[in-house]
Amino acid sequence: MNKRLFLAMSLLILLAGCATMGTTSERAVIKAKDKVAPALVHIRPVKEVYASGKREEVQVVGSGFIISPDGYVVTNEHVAGESKSVHCVLYTKDEVEAQVVGGDPYTDIAVLKLTTPPKNLPHVTLGQSSKLVAGQTVLALGSPHGLARSVSMGIVSVTDRYLEDRGDEMVSPFNNWIQTDAAINPGNSGGPLVNLKGEVIGINTRILSGAENVGFAIPIDIAKEVIDQLIKNGHMTRSWIGESLQPMRVKSEDPAAKGVVIADVATLSPGYEAGLRPGDIMLSVDGIPTNARFEEDLPAVRKHIADLPVGKEVAVRILRDGKEQDIKVATAERSLLRGDQVEFPEWAFTAVDVTDNIARRAQLASRKGVLVTGAQVGGIAANARLINGDILLAIDGAEVPNLASFKKTYQSLIESKKPLVMLEVKRGALSRFVLIKQEPGEPAASAAPEPGPVQVEGGSKNVQ
Amino acid sequence: MFSSFAIVLIGLAQTQPGDGFTQSSIASAYKELTPAICLVSYSSEVTNPSTGETTKRDSSALGLLVSAAGLAMAPGHMSLENAEPFNINVTVGHGDNEQKYAATLLKKPDDINVCFLKLQSDTPLNLPHVVFAKGVQLGVGEPILTFGILSETLDYARGAFTCRVGAILEKPRRTYCIDSPLRFGFVGGPVVNGLGQAVGVVGFDLTAAEGGDLYVRSGQPLVYQADLFQKYIDEPPSETEVVAHGEEAWLGVFTQPLGDDFAEYWSLPKEGGVVVSSIVSGTPAEQAGMKSGDVIVNFNGTPLHCKQDREVIGFTKLVREAGIGKTVPLKVLRNGKPLDLQIQLVERPKSAREAGEFKDEKLGLTVREITTDVRIVLNLSEAVKGVIIRRVKSGGAADLANMRPGVIIMNLGDYSITSLDDYKGAIDKIAAQKPKEVTAFCRAGAATGFFRLEPRWDNE
Repeated sequence: MNKRLFLAMSLLILLAGCATMGTTSERAVIKAKDKVAPALVHIRPVKEVYASGKREEVQVVGSGFIISPDGYVVTNEHVAGESKSVHCVLYTKDEVEAQVVGGDPYTDIAVLKLTTPPKNLPHVTLGQSSKLVAGQTVLALGSPHGLARSVSMGIVSVTDRYLEDRGDEMVSPFNNWIQTDAAINPGNSGGPLVNLKGEVIGINTRILSGAENVGFAIPIDIAKEVIDQLIKNGHMTRSWIGESLQPMRVKSEDPAAKGVVIADVATLSPGYEAGLRPGDIMLSVDGIPTNARFEEDLPAVRKHIADLPVGKEVAVRILRDGKEQDIKVATAERSLLRGDQVEFPEWAFTAVDVTDNIARRAQLASRKGVLVTGAQVGGIAANARLINGDILLAIDGAEVPNLASFKKTYQSLIESKKPLVMLEVKRGALSRFVLIKQEPGEPAASAAPEPGPVQVEGGSKNVQ
Repeated sequence: MFSSFAIVLIGLAQTQPGDGFTQSSIASAYKELTPAICLVSYSSEVTNPSTGETTKRDSSALGLLVSAAGLAMAPGHMSLENAEPFNINVTVGHGDNEQKYAATLLKKPDDINVCFLKLQSDTPLNLPHVVFAKGVQLGVGEPILTFGILSETLDYARGAFTCRVGAILEKPRRTYCIDSPLRFGFVGGPVVNGLGQAVGVVGFDLTAAEGGDLYVRSGQPLVYQADLFQKYIDEPPSETEVVAHGEEAWLGVFTQPLGDDFAEYWSLPKEGGVVVSSIVSGTPAEQAGMKSGDVIVNFNGTPLHCKQDREVIGFTKLVREAGIGKTVPLKVLRNGKPLDLQIQLVERPKSAREAGEFKDEKLGLTVREITTDVRIVLNLSEAVKGVIIRRVKSGGAADLANMRPGVIIMNLGDYSITSLDDYKGAIDKIAAQKPKEVTAFCRAGAATGFFRLEPRWDNE
């Protein structure tokens, strides 16, 4: 296997055991498998990876399934997102190229379109995950460790597992998960979880690191909505008021307690501007109750808010100091989970736009500026001591509003070869001056990164 | 008991710093000096800053007696931010005439990486100790003797090893580099020059106040000249329990050196200076209207020519020692134009090391006041008030509620918490009512949220 071929999976695990189910009829299993397997796709995208201040391309391996005769393929966003080209191998072993139609990091779903779909393309039937019960037999199909056309079997362990958001990437605010003990390995990502009727009821996505037979699939009911919107618009549009929620349980064990606890409100959000504050109990939004006694109830409440039309003024009914009151909030569009990453090869660093998420984490007073995500050792930026995590706020005394504007300024500075460029950055709570020294006589192209074995190591860090 | 004698070696060794030590000069120095070397054994509770888990471990270090009354000096790593030493014992003498004393750790100086211990005794002590020569300089290539303790497997034998000064660093203060590798049991051991004078002790890094937090000089054995710590021998620091702070003046700025490239960019003379990059709110610098980008070229009559990071430390020292409450003149370049400022310095705010702590047995946690340095490290605005969790007791109410060190408690029950006293008052009032559950409103990183605690009031 190619050294640069990485397996895509959200978490690493140990080997999964082999499930034998004496009570399950072998015929039923084979029948269900036969219904789905022809639509199974082995996916090898070439992903862009930004590591240590440069952009690299690495190949990853994942799974997917065809959902329509015209060649739409569903997989995980962490498999095919940020890819320019995606190489697909069909169940017939035929190889077909695909384009990324759209991806949604919030649910980890991506949709591809086969560029030249063969005739009589088989496709799966989508089931209903709401009808699942724990204990039901399920099959997982995909390419564990790159081994295409693999099938494993297990049961649904839990139908509504809540997984807390972890860091920037591992988030699932709008869905609970199907937990299964069917063997899922790195490379299974994006593959179908199937019931014995041969219907896809989930998308295998995560595994619990260090555990055995603890895998998680996105319920297909949630996925259907996302798939439809990605096909229609190429991206998901969601509303945002800036709230972070906790279940009522954090305040009281009282089963009669209604509503959901507002744990935090982003300061640069419509909710904060309208007067929502941490500690308020949100009872309803536009008359629809927002009850969440347990954490498993949170995704539905968050989704209710996300599904509101962007820009709509809604009445948020809250309980504060024992009194109910309505607060009118005009929803804003939820920003991307990740901003577009850009490499600046001459200065040898990479940066992203400041998203709502980044602004909140870095406690910025505004969304202005760009976030430095890496600086290559020995490069111009690193020599000036620009480091990962710096927020670039001004260049030569002029404010940097966003990445697009910085790109323009940067390009003109590269062309003019101005010897000294002053950056003002925010590093944690402190500000710093960073003086970039461009070599005046140097042709702009010569500072571009050279390929070398180091890239493999650097690249692997970002691959899940 | 030992007879008292101060070890002043002059006259016993050669009278000139020649090309090396003779066997007899080493032997006599060994005989005179090693009784002042003692073994410090201690346990320490180490807190993992991210998980809050504490582990205990036993360690030992070299101690050097510096007064007849029982003041000993030990390496600075005995006392670290996340490790608290306890059960400190000092064994004086070696072999058959060992004598063990319990000892108290005194407040660690912050301008040199050494600790001081006070030996405990019911009767007045009269111990052998080293007296350091004052104002002695060393030269490159000069032979020196370093003394220390060999490892446990070598029976803690005392050693005298010859080496030389291999390099001299001038900044941020004169530092001698020893030409041989670092021997752990020799850190803190005395250094003797060719004239037989005790001139300092072996160290291996600079303190944070000297730029040592950059770890630029760690691992290289250095000589801490006696002039750096003699003041603490003459006037030992107070005991740790007594929180002493604020002896230092503060301006409230973070700075960068004015390197020649910065000077060129701003069209300033290439003579160095101190660039103000951050101004802490509510400080004299802010009140005097200092601006980010101001270049300080003269502080209190002393011209500043800092061009490199380590040179800025000299400026920090100038401010520290300028006097609390004193109004000092500053010459500043703002947008290239000279500007005179008068700034009244204030006391440096407490650091996390000096922060008050409160151990709350009821909820099973230890909280600490939020000091200015923590505010800066955690990027907390002045608007964030509260106390920060330092430790969580395993199995306690806080632990069961998933509260972790680093979490800031802003509200407890109905009480808002802005200080340790607020916390103490709140927990007393809550405990009087013994509610089944207590809600804490907290901040963890950039996010806020609630924790529900179920204290077991009856188990007290």
